[in-house]
Amino acid sequence: MSAAIELDNVVATYRNGLFGGGSKIQALNGISLELRSGEVFAFLGPNGAGKTTTINILMGFLFPDSGTVRVMGYPPGDVRAKRQIGFLPENFAFYGYLTGEQLLRFHIRLAGPQKLPGDAVIPEMLAKVKLDGYPGLKIGKFSRGMVQRIGLAQALMHDPQLIILDEPTSGLDPVGRKEVRELILSLKAQGKTVFLSSHILSEVEQVCDRIAIVEKGSLKQMGAVKDLLNQASLIEIVVDQLPPELETDLIAQSATVTRLENCVKLTIPSEQKREVLERLWTAGCDLISLNARKSSLEDLFLQLVGEGHPE
Amino acid sequence: MTIWTLALNTLNGFLRNKILILFALLFLGMLLLMLSPILLMKAMKNAGSPAQAQNMIFGLISGVMTFATAFGSFISIWAAADTVSREMKSGTILAVMARPIRRWEYLLGKYLGVQMLMVLYVALMLILSYVLAAIAGETIFSSPIVLIVYPLVRYAIYSAMSLLLVTWLHPFVAMGVTIVIGILAHAATAQGLQFLPEWMRAPLVYVLPSTNLLSEVQFLTLTRTSLKPAPIGDHLTALAYGLDYAAILFLLAAWAFRKRRLTGD
Repeated sequence: MSAAIELDNVVATYRNGLFGGGSKIQALNGISLELRSGEVFAFLGPNGAGKTTTINILMGFLFPDSGTVRVMGYPPGDVRAKRQIGFLPENFAFYGYLTGEQLLRFHIRLAGPQKLPGDAVIPEMLAKVKLDGYPGLKIGKFSRGMVQRIGLAQALMHDPQLIILDEPTSGLDPVGRKEVRELILSLKAQGKTVFLSSHILSEVEQVCDRIAIVEKGSLKQMGAVKDLLNQASLIEIVVDQLPPELETDLIAQSATVTRLENCVKLTIPSEQKREVLERLWTAGCDLISLNARKSSLEDLFLQLVGEGHPE
Repeated sequence: MTIWTLALNTLNGFLRNKILILFALLFLGMLLLMLSPILLMKAMKNAGSPAQAQNMIFGLISGVMTFATAFGSFISIWAAADTVSREMKSGTILAVMARPIRRWEYLLGKYLGVQMLMVLYVALMLILSYVLAAIAGETIFSSPIVLIVYPLVRYAIYSAMSLLLVTWLHPFVAMGVTIVIGILAHAATAQGLQFLPEWMRAPLVYVLPSTNLLSEVQFLTLTRTSLKPAPIGDHLTALAYGLDYAAILFLLAAWAFRKRRLTGD
């Protein structure tokens, strides 16, 4: 399969001050990744990790200091690439004086003659994002969720091959988030490539084939969701008692210890299972139960990025 | 098609811009204040001194038009500095530039939107001048084409300059620098910089656009209600000179914009 997005050792720096003569902030520190056609890929990381910077580079809004970037086989910002891309920016901004219908018509005109779907697609798109009941309402009067929906409509109306979504569920209620999840799955079923960044890890887990976790501009982990979750799976062990000195040792080995009324629960990484069981047995602890606990993307994220971050 | 769509949307945005609406209301208020002296002069004309009253009426209308022209320069500078920087600040540029649009096409659409606004402004000012003259019972015997085209060419130069500077500078700074350059250009060609040594004055005269050459005043004298005879070749040379400046400044702006960061973060 050909690559829809290729990033090779991309470095980006923000410079402050007049003509960029001030201090430098390293936004991306050698990011490399490849997104295959037809897959749903999520880009995760705490605030300021470099997710939006990466998306802005892919769209040609920013230029990297070094490294290679190709989008649909073209350099970022090339009109041949942009014809194949549907894009929803983070905090979609709009012309408040237009109605939803007028905004979509404006974007159809901008899409140009090669990809002109015609005005007939507008009612269909408005119905798809459930905004067909507001014909005369200016976007300036829309709620945050409605703005996000019209943003999604403009991103998808020209039937793009690659869809880049920066926080697509931002501002949506649970029903709206579910609809976006279903939309992404339907795009996947149509063979579209989706690149998204999101804070809502449970949603990413449900819809994505692969993920990349980025922190401070560097890639921390990348791979198929199920492989990464298997790697990060945990074991829950319940014993009748736990000597304090062994508890201190196990906590130092990244175990979580919870003292319950008549027993003690230990949660450990699965690869430490044999060693911990042997130590418990040697210390005279009676095993009450042992269960595998499937790790969530949130567990993996927190393991990699640390619990200090808000996401 | 794409450029036209962008230009129309830019004009659409201007017509709903609160600052611009406030400017327009202030200007309209000032013009309404002009009605009192005009009506007074009309009464004077009827009272038996028609020649003196006519001169005063045309002097007043000429003053109003000079002010309107200067105000137009300010609007063209402000509109050009504001239109792109506002989109970058608000983020509306991102969804637009995600479309198959080249950066120069976007900038040209914005620039044409500013010119459309200025066409509207000049047309309104011209109508107002004729209305003021009609209220005073006079007729302006001048060429509307000259009154329309020359200010527009000057505005095209100022807005291109502002568009170029706002690529590097904060919009307010870009506006300020453009206004200073405009004043310098006027002073340099109106022999207003005689106090400067020749080695400083000469480059300014050569580099800056000659606002005198591009002034409609060189072809008509409104106070005498007459149009100076000028061959079409003179008009074409003067306009080509002005459009050349505008085109070069716009091309420089497009060159500077091609590697501009489009996000405000």
